[in-house]
Amino acid sequence: MPRLVHGSYRIRYELDGPADAPAYVLVNGLTQYSELWSAYREALLGRGFRVATFDLLGQGESDKPALFINQDDQVTALHLLIGELGDGPIFLSGISFGGLIALRYAIEHGERISGLVPMSCFAELTPQLLLLGNALRTGLILGGTSYLQDLLLPMNLSDQWLKPLLDKLDSVKRQGWLVNDLYALQNLMESFLDFEPLTPRLAAIAVPTMILNGEFDFLTPRALHETLRVEIADSSLVIIPKAYHAFTLEKSALTADLLARFADDVLAGRWQGNKAVWIAPEEPGGELAPFPAGYDHLRAIPIRAAPP
Amino acid sequence: MSRFLGPLDSEGRVPSHQQTRIAAFLISAHGALARQYAMSLPMRIEAAWQTELNAQFYRESEIISLLQRATSWVPDMALPYMAASWETAWFPKPVEGLVGQPLALPIDLATRAHAIHAGIRPAALLPVDANVNDPFVSALRRIEFESGRLLQAQILFLKGDSLVPFRDAVSTELERRHAEIRKLWADTLESVGITVRQDR
Repeated sequence: MPRLVHGSYRIRYELDGPADAPAYVLVNGLTQYSELWSAYREALLGRGFRVATFDLLGQGESDKPALFINQDDQVTALHLLIGELGDGPIFLSGISFGGLIALRYAIEHGERISGLVPMSCFAELTPQLLLLGNALRTGLILGGTSYLQDLLLPMNLSDQWLKPLLDKLDSVKRQGWLVNDLYALQNLMESFLDFEPLTPRLAAIAVPTMILNGEFDFLTPRALHETLRVEIADSSLVIIPKAYHAFTLEKSALTADLLARFADDVLAGRWQGNKAVWIAPEEPGGELAPFPAGYDHLRAIPIRAAPP
Repeated sequence: MSRFLGPLDSEGRVPSHQQTRIAAFLISAHGALARQYAMSLPMRIEAAWQTELNAQFYRESEIISLLQRATSWVPDMALPYMAASWETAWFPKPVEGLVGQPLALPIDLATRAHAIHAGIRPAALLPVDANVNDPFVSALRRIEFESGRLLQAQILFLKGDSLVPFRDAVSTELERRHAEIRKLWADTLESVGITVRQDR
């Protein structure tokens, strides 16, 4: 398994696909590990992309700094990985915590990427998100990784996904529990203790950006994605129907299809962000529909948008 | 070599020779912490830390007592030699960059405790079909869970404001301790047919 070297730390990554193909770099969420992108690897390779995944510092098989993990180091790790990919077009996507790292990368090294896809993402800690994060951290401290997983599973996945797995949740949780250590997850969570909102810096992102947000995302609701849409010039917000925070796990075929179509559109010069709001299809290959004109996409009930 | 303990017997129990060596290592590590906490208890320190030190001492003692009772012990000729090497590793050591500092001793103890509580995950060695009602299996799960709780005192101390001026020295020492204890643990596991080393 290849490794990147950042100071005394080693970062495990995986890279597949032809060297001359446009690349997708996928960044894990906080409790994830790179194998969770395997469905994306297969789908995107099949669509002619090169695919790079890695474990962030503190995750999976990458080194786990014992006391502190700085988010700047995660951006540096990502930069090292992107440095391995040559000069071809690179599309960057990340989920949740990984989306935040991707946003920071796009702010600092935007010239290196051709497109950005933040998913279930945020640029600031609203009071709700701050308190939820604190409660999840307390859950981790008091109940361990398994209890944190117990909290996240029902919050981030649908009944349809959970129901057939109810009697085998231990096996669903096991790999994440095995590869992620409590102290390292705690360090990742505590990397937010000195977090500065990214919102004032989002305007620096000039690349085409497709923002993906689950319809029922409870952890990072629509308003947090709206900040990205408003501040990033060439962006569109795409709402994934009937999806929760962890839709990348639950709707991998649909999401991989959206990622591939976004990159194809950008490479063909067809992409127009226009800060538009779209509704994704329920199945891969379906048409995106514009959010109904005149209605407020920040509401959960059909309310007419206030005049500008 | 396997990543997990076993092969399990028909009742989902871990082989006795694996139980013996793993329990001996854990008793040595947690026993060293208990001894060092016991020696620190008479120190006059802040009340909150005194309370925590007391709690840590008794929980470490509980882990040792639990393992003594839950393990299916068998004679192990290699144990005296291995135990000697483990015990040497727990000796207090000067922390580079902090020699002569009044906090050097607590930092030495806290970094060792952090490395043991964070870096040793005995429950992660259990295969999925291990019998959850077996005393040894249950003990490993409890020790890993308790280690996560005990670790919080070390995190609080090592990340605390009082150590901000020594942050680099503390981080370096902690990484060194983690590497040292990770190696001891990996060597012990390899001696009973388990590999936990990463591909590096």
